[in-house]
Amino acid sequence: MDTRESRSPDQSVADKLDDEIANLRAQVESLKKELALQTSTLMTSEPIQKLLQPDRSGRPRSKQTEVDSKEKLLARAQDQNARKQQCLYRTCASITTFKIHDPDPNAVDDGHVLGVRLEVMSKSRFLRPYYVMLNRPYSERRYLRVHRHTVPQCIPLAGLAARYLPAPSNKRDHNDSSKQDLSQFVRALRREIVRYHNRNAVIGDLRKSAGLESKTERSQEQEVPIVDISAADAEAKQISVGWGDGRSGRLVMDDDGTIVKMVVQGENGRDRDAVRQLLGGSARIEEVVRRLEGI
Amino acid sequence: MARVSLPTTARLPSSLRVDASNPAVIKVLNRLSRTSLLSLVLDWLDPKNLTLCPPVLRHPEEGEDDEDEDDLYPPARSLDELQSIYVDLQARKGSRREVVDRIIEGDWRHGLSLYQLAMADMQYLYDHPGTLKWSTYRIERLQTPRHEDDVDADGIRRPEKIDKASLAIPRFHPSTFLQNLQAEVLPDVKAHYNLDRPPGLPLLLLRIFVLDSPYNTDLAVSSKNQNRSRASITTTVRTSTGSLIEMSAPNPSARDRRSGAAAPASFDASRTIYVAFPDAAPYVYISRSQSSGPTTPSDTKSLRTLVVEGIPKALSRPRERYALRPSDLHTKNLEALLAARGPGRGAAAAGGWSVYAAGAGEARDKALVSPLNVALPVTPPDSDAEGRAKKRGREEEEEEERLRKRRVARARFGDAARMDDGKGVERVDILLEDGFPALPGLDTNTLVEDDDEQEADMAGRANKPGRKKSGNTSSLFATEEGDEEGEREGDGRNRRRKPGETNWRPNLKLTFHGPHVFAGIRQLVEAGIVDGARAPGWMTGEEGVTVGVVREGRIRGFKGSGVGG
Repeated sequence: MDTRESRSPDQSVADKLDDEIANLRAQVESLKKELALQTSTLMTSEPIQKLLQPDRSGRPRSKQTEVDSKEKLLARAQDQNARKQQCLYRTCASITTFKIHDPDPNAVDDGHVLGVRLEVMSKSRFLRPYYVMLNRPYSERRYLRVHRHTVPQCIPLAGLAARYLPAPSNKRDHNDSSKQDLSQFVRALRREIVRYHNRNAVIGDLRKSAGLESKTERSQEQEVPIVDISAADAEAKQISVGWGDGRSGRLVMDDDGTIVKMVVQGENGRDRDAVRQLLGGSARIEEVVRRLEGI
Repeated sequence: MARVSLPTTARLPSSLRVDASNPAVIKVLNRLSRTSLLSLVLDWLDPKNLTLCPPVLRHPEEGEDDEDEDDLYPPARSLDELQSIYVDLQARKGSRREVVDRIIEGDWRHGLSLYQLAMADMQYLYDHPGTLKWSTYRIERLQTPRHEDDVDADGIRRPEKIDKASLAIPRFHPSTFLQNLQAEVLPDVKAHYNLDRPPGLPLLLLRIFVLDSPYNTDLAVSSKNQNRSRASITTTVRTSTGSLIEMSAPNPSARDRRSGAAAPASFDASRTIYVAFPDAAPYVYISRSQSSGPTTPSDTKSLRTLVVEGIPKALSRPRERYALRPSDLHTKNLEALLAARGPGRGAAAAGGWSVYAAGAGEARDKALVSPLNVALPVTPPDSDAEGRAKKRGREEEEEEERLRKRRVARARFGDAARMDDGKGVERVDILLEDGFPALPGLDTNTLVEDDDEQEADMAGRANKPGRKKSGNTSSLFATEEGDEEGEREGDGRNRRRKPGETNWRPNLKLTFHGPHVFAGIRQLVEAGIVDGARAPGWMTGEEGVTVGVVREGRIRGFKGSGVGG
């Protein structure tokens, strides 16, 4: 008993110290964040910008160290301005381009790579952007080719690239058929990505409206509750629905969320009533979400 | 047991029981550790699995006095009793032998179902993830022939073309797939399929267990040649589990089985092959087949070919045909496969490009994520940079040099290729087909004498990573006098020769060995042994292949970008 008693205050002291350290660390992090935010705001404000402008009056009163630190600050302010501009473009344009240098010493075209950044929003939040890097491996021609990308596998990037960025044909006379259209390619790609995210989001909405997301038990007026709603394939075009009594269904929608068909399989074969009950003549998947909310 | 067995094309049912004294069964069980064996048994006793793995239970009408006194493992009265026996075993310390004996002599003395064997095999795979060597294949859509004439023009079947412009993503539906695959299996071979989802990995694992038998009943798992197999079994049993024969002899049913009409089952030529389907990625991973019993290499090869040919057909549907294309990545590490050929963003942006692909969880610089955050991105702090900044003179220079090398390594490898990321490939084979670089002031002819030394240098550089990482690895490089022109011209039609490149092309093959090849190269870059700025791209692993041919300093036709070359 003695040992236990003597140990527990020790442990609590150690725990307290650990807590305190964790708290302090969190505080340091938040202060650092605040500092970065204040710095960036100050740096881009007009009075500071004016102050930082190089002294044109030519008065020799400032010391060398002062000039040095001022130059540093100026460089920092320029970086900050560039960053601000980049962020502005990224926020408004959703597709932005930038230059990358390929670190591979044997890279084609001296390592010049064009980066395309695609912004995606989901749940009123910017997601990590998708990138497509293009290079020009074909000698003496300005044809582009997808070099690297971070687009998920369920987006048919290769197919889009083959359609809009075909490789140059070897026959000289045949040039018209293989014309590349970068803007069309990027537009089609963005469309695919946004549609994919929208489909995923609508499945999330379905889950929420069926009461699957919230932990608290929601008043179930349906006699048989839905116990599972999830995407059934890579492209999130098929939704599998599971009921509490073992029935399972599959809803197929097209790229844009229009319902193509739905089948529910019960113990005694197809259950058309369940389909009617769930869909109720909805043409689009969002209507199903509203119906589920209404039930 | 069915009296009449007709040859069929159906698959082997999961409930088909294999005799418990079969050496294959004993081998499968003996491979597992005691803890995983016990958890496996408790899984078998789970009410969900019970129909496929029924244990021996005492009939309720039997009285106490019916108990066979010689029976070491009297059958339990109820499922609960049996479960508690195994839970007790779990709490107690003891040998694996004890559990194995209890399973094959006691509770499953009438045999283990194929489902149980599959579960045991899977458990072994989860316990030892590096035991199988996987190869990756990309699923590609084939062009639909526009007209019948396209297919059979002049009676010659043209090879199908890959539809590069297709926007379809192949969809995998397990039960339909298995039905179609069964249709592809030849009638004189029977297969048992088992699908499982390994814990913690986003993929579906299919185990295909193949027997050479036209029957799908007990006849399939019993030997064709009874005498031969009986002889072999008794010897194996004696050597592998010493006292087994004496112990089981009093058991009348077992004795009957051994000497009676039903010969003990034997998988003379059973083969197992695993196929993994990663979630949301158009790839298939296929393992090398394992076989029990004597098989020839061509035998296992043919099974693999059968599976590789059957899978695209099973995936295909009318007017939607797919083909598999090997994608030059072979490794034992499933995590590495998932990183390079999986659903993530890094699949086509490996190596230094991984900074763009980092997922939200591992994003160190959140500033890259949202454009609403205007704070300047902070360069990731180099570890212990601040503490040692005060050093003077040479030390300071050395420190700076060290930091510079680290930065170079970061530029080339990004966040990938860390020793502890668990995504290591154990072998990389590279074939260099580049012309030998001409040195200024040297004639090509005089160069031939020098270049042995040069090659030794180059190979030595490549050699070191392997040696450093694990003691017993070896690196292999073969140099041969390249066939001067002739042959090379043929396949290098559209190649340009770089200025300053000689005609002489040594046939140079580099093999890197080690637990994590690219992390090793990264360490060499950080240590300054490999010049990070000049190292070619294939040394950083950014192409995501383990077998490749290098031309003009780049791996030819890599599939990393998903576009192919």
